[in-house]
Amino acid sequence: MSSTHIKTTGSTMADNVGFLAGRIPAEIEVMYKDLKDLDKELFRKILKVVVNAVEGKDCSGAMVEIAQSSPLSDEKFSRIVSGMYALLKEALRLPSSSLKQEGFKEELRELRISEEFIADFASVVFGNRRSALDAVFTQQGPRLPSLEEFRWRVDVAISTSSLARALQPSVLMQFKLSDGYSCRFEVPVSKFHELRYNVALILKEMNDLEKRSILKIQD
Amino acid sequence: MAEADSVKALSGLLNGIAQKAYYGNSDITEDLLKSEIYPDMSQEEFHALHEKMRGVLKSIATADMDQTQLEAFLTAQTCKQGGGGVSSEQAAALGRFWKAHRMRIRESLLAQSRWEPGLRSVNWRVDLQTASSRGSTSSTPVALVELELGRNRQDSEFVCLEFDELKVNQVLKKMAEIQESIDSIVHHS
Repeated sequence: MSSTHIKTTGSTMADNVGFLAGRIPAEIEVMYKDLKDLDKELFRKILKVVVNAVEGKDCSGAMVEIAQSSPLSDEKFSRIVSGMYALLKEALRLPSSSLKQEGFKEELRELRISEEFIADFASVVFGNRRSALDAVFTQQGPRLPSLEEFRWRVDVAISTSSLARALQPSVLMQFKLSDGYSCRFEVPVSKFHELRYNVALILKEMNDLEKRSILKIQD
Repeated sequence: MAEADSVKALSGLLNGIAQKAYYGNSDITEDLLKSEIYPDMSQEEFHALHEKMRGVLKSIATADMDQTQLEAFLTAQTCKQGGGGVSSEQAAALGRFWKAHRMRIRESLLAQSRWEPGLRSVNWRVDLQTASSRGSTSSTPVALVELELGRNRQDSEFVCLEFDELKVNQVLKKMAEIQESIDSIVHHS
């Protein structure tokens, strides 16, 4: 199976890597048998719930409901759900810029999936929900906490227990992070300049990086 | 004691006092200073000298004297009758010492009245995210920033954050506001 797959998409390999790329998960490979005589409405219902699952939402209730109301056997239903899930996960792993719609459809045809189901799969992978799905994946990826709230205050110490006339400005900063952690710290003016310079430098680096077309990684 | 030696000893004593009182070096004690710098002096005599220098230095440091104030202060001290004043030799040593240590001592005194952890350093890195287990290879730059925070003479704590470009921009704008706020104070005083 995998060898024929590579052969048929070989002509477009240079600019379009197949999303299954020669290693087809078993659950996708056998799915066509169960999809063959599946009712289109039921297919859409299941697909909708599977998309929710891919987004990381809890779908167990909806799944049970469909399973109980459908004429499918439990085994068949499970095979369809896991096949759909694996297929969408594989397809959504590639950025939309490198997976072409035609190539995707061609690959599903190779897997003997019928045209009307292919259109539905394609509408998930290439439709207007795609950006929302990508955003969810970025959120779910491993990442450091981000800055949620940034409050500050500028103080001038007039006099202290050890210094009669301090007259020293300083900045009190309070950060609240997306993981709930919050920290408060004092920044002397000299350190503040250092911090501001570094933030400006980071922004410049990020801008430069985006301008450099060589780093616009696309495959 | 030859004059050069006496100047050297005085400067050593002042340094020792500063180490103990302002730079947080608790290894330095009055007894150590006596045995290292003035081994031949009697205990009472040394104690009096030590207390006098400590007191004068404290007056200078608390007022954060500039050059003019210092000269006026030292002149007044040398003119004092009896045992309370300082000799002109001691005044000269104090003048030299303060010139060299003023900024550092001021910093240290300011730090003594700072209770929040302070920002010690900032390290950062700009990454280009290319691929991940969940997919989404948008290849947008991400800034990873590490802030080193710490209280006076305590171990550092590290806070690591992730920023996208928009967030960096927002932070930079806040920084400009803070700068304006600082400028308004500094220019008005």
